[in-house]
Amino acid sequence: MSVKKEVCSTGIEELDMKMSGGIPLGSTVLVTGCSGSGKTTLCMQFLFNGAKKGERGVFFTITEPLFKLTKNLEGFAFYDKKLIESGMVNIIDLRIISERLGLDTEKYTVEDAGALLDILKDIADELDVKRLVIDSITALCYRLQTREMIRDFIFKLGTSLAVMKCTTLLTSEVPPQTFKFSQYEIEEFISDGILFLGDIERKGDLIRTLQVIKMRGIDHSRTKFALNISAQRGIELVPLLKSAEFEAFLKH
Amino acid sequence: MVDAVIEGIRERVVAAIQVNQSVGIQVPENRHGDLLEALFESMCRNTHTTWTFITVSKTYDYLSKTFKEGTRNTNVKFIDCISRAAGISDISPNCIYIESPAMLEKIILETLNNFRGMKRDLDKYIVIDSLSALMIYNESEIIREFVSLLMNKSRAENIHVVSILVEEEMDSHKLIQLNDKIIVLRDSFID
Repeated sequence: MSVKKEVCSTGIEELDMKMSGGIPLGSTVLVTGCSGSGKTTLCMQFLFNGAKKGERGVFFTITEPLFKLTKNLEGFAFYDKKLIESGMVNIIDLRIISERLGLDTEKYTVEDAGALLDILKDIADELDVKRLVIDSITALCYRLQTREMIRDFIFKLGTSLAVMKCTTLLTSEVPPQTFKFSQYEIEEFISDGILFLGDIERKGDLIRTLQVIKMRGIDHSRTKFALNISAQRGIELVPLLKSAEFEAFLKH
Repeated sequence: MVDAVIEGIRERVVAAIQVNQSVGIQVPENRHGDLLEALFESMCRNTHTTWTFITVSKTYDYLSKTFKEGTRNTNVKFIDCISRAAGISDISPNCIYIESPAMLEKIILETLNNFRGMKRDLDKYIVIDSLSALMIYNESEIIREFVSLLMNKSRAENIHVVSILVEEEMDSHKLIQLNDKIIVLRDSFID
C-alpha cells in the first residue's frame, strides 16, 4: 500500500481526496446505485474533467438517447460543448451501433454480444481513449437471455477491459434502498473498485450518499458521504451526519 | 431607546465575533427581531466582511421586506431553509433555497460554497438563525453533529460562526454550549 500508484483524477475534489488522488490508472470501477442516485452525472463529470486535461474519453450509452443525455448535461458548469465537437468527449449510443451491425437491439445472442464487445474495443483503441464509461452494464446484460450468457459476457468484458489502457467506469443499476452492488452479482468480480451511490431517508427527505466500497491498490476512505448534485459544481461530497444514518437504520 | 438597545447589542456581538471563532447568542423571543436588526446593521457597516445568513426561522422574503437595507447588501448571501418546505417558490439571486431544513449536509455545502474563491483578507461570517428552529425539524443529536461539523469546517477556513438560540426553546439549550463564547440577551439588559 505504501507504493504510490499512478491515479486518474475524477476531477471531483472531495472524491479524489478519499481515494489518495483518484482511481488507479487502468482500473475498472463499478458505479452502483438506484435510479436518480447520480451515476450518469458522476461518469460524465469524470469524462469532461479528463478531457479538459487532454485525456480523450468515450461514453457508451444503452439507456438514454443521445439528445436527452446532452440536454441534461447543459445545465452543468463542467459541461463544455466544444469538448464534444472536438472529439475529446465521445458519446455513442450502443443501440445505434447494434442496428448498424444488424443486431436485434432488444435481445442479444452470444455472438451478438461478442461482436458488440469487439466494436467497443475497436472504438476505444481507434480513438485512443484514456477514459471509458459504459452506462449501463445492467441494461447491456438485460439483453442477454440466460444467466450463463450474462456471466460469460461479463467475464469477457472484464478480460477486454483489463488489456485496454484506459480507466473504465461501468454503471450498475440496483433497486432503491438496497445494499447490493449489481443486478447479476457477477459485475463486482470483474471490477477493481466499487463506488456505491445510495440514499437515506430523513424525515421524508431522501439524502443521496456515496461510499467507496473498494478500490484496489490504494488507500481509500470507506466513510459514507452525503452527495449533492449542483449545477455549478456537479457532484459534491460532505461527510454524512452519522446520527442520521443511525436513525434511518432504526427505522428500517 | 430602541435604537440604543440595538446599538448595544450590535457592539456586544461585533466585539465578541471579532475575537471568537464561534459565538452563541441566547435571546428571548421578544428580542429576536432586535438582534437581527443589530446583525444586519453590522453587516451594512463593514464592507470588508462577507456573510452567509442561514435562515430557518423566517423566510428570506420576510427578512428582505422587514430588514430592507441589511438584506440588500451585496456582502450578504442568504440560505433559506424553510420557504421550499412551506411550498413557497420564490427565486432571488441573493438567496439559495434548500428543499428542507432536514437536509443538513446540503446546508453545510451551500454555506461553504458561498465563500469559495473569496479574497483571503475578507472577514467571513456565518449566521445560523436559529438552532431552536432547526430543532423543530431535526433531532437534537443530529443538530449537535451538524453544528460541530460546520464549526470545524469553518474553523479550517477561518470563518466565524454566530448561532442564535431562542430562549423559549430550552430543549436546544445544550447546543449553544458548543460555541467558544456565549452571549445571553435579556429583556432589558445584556449579560
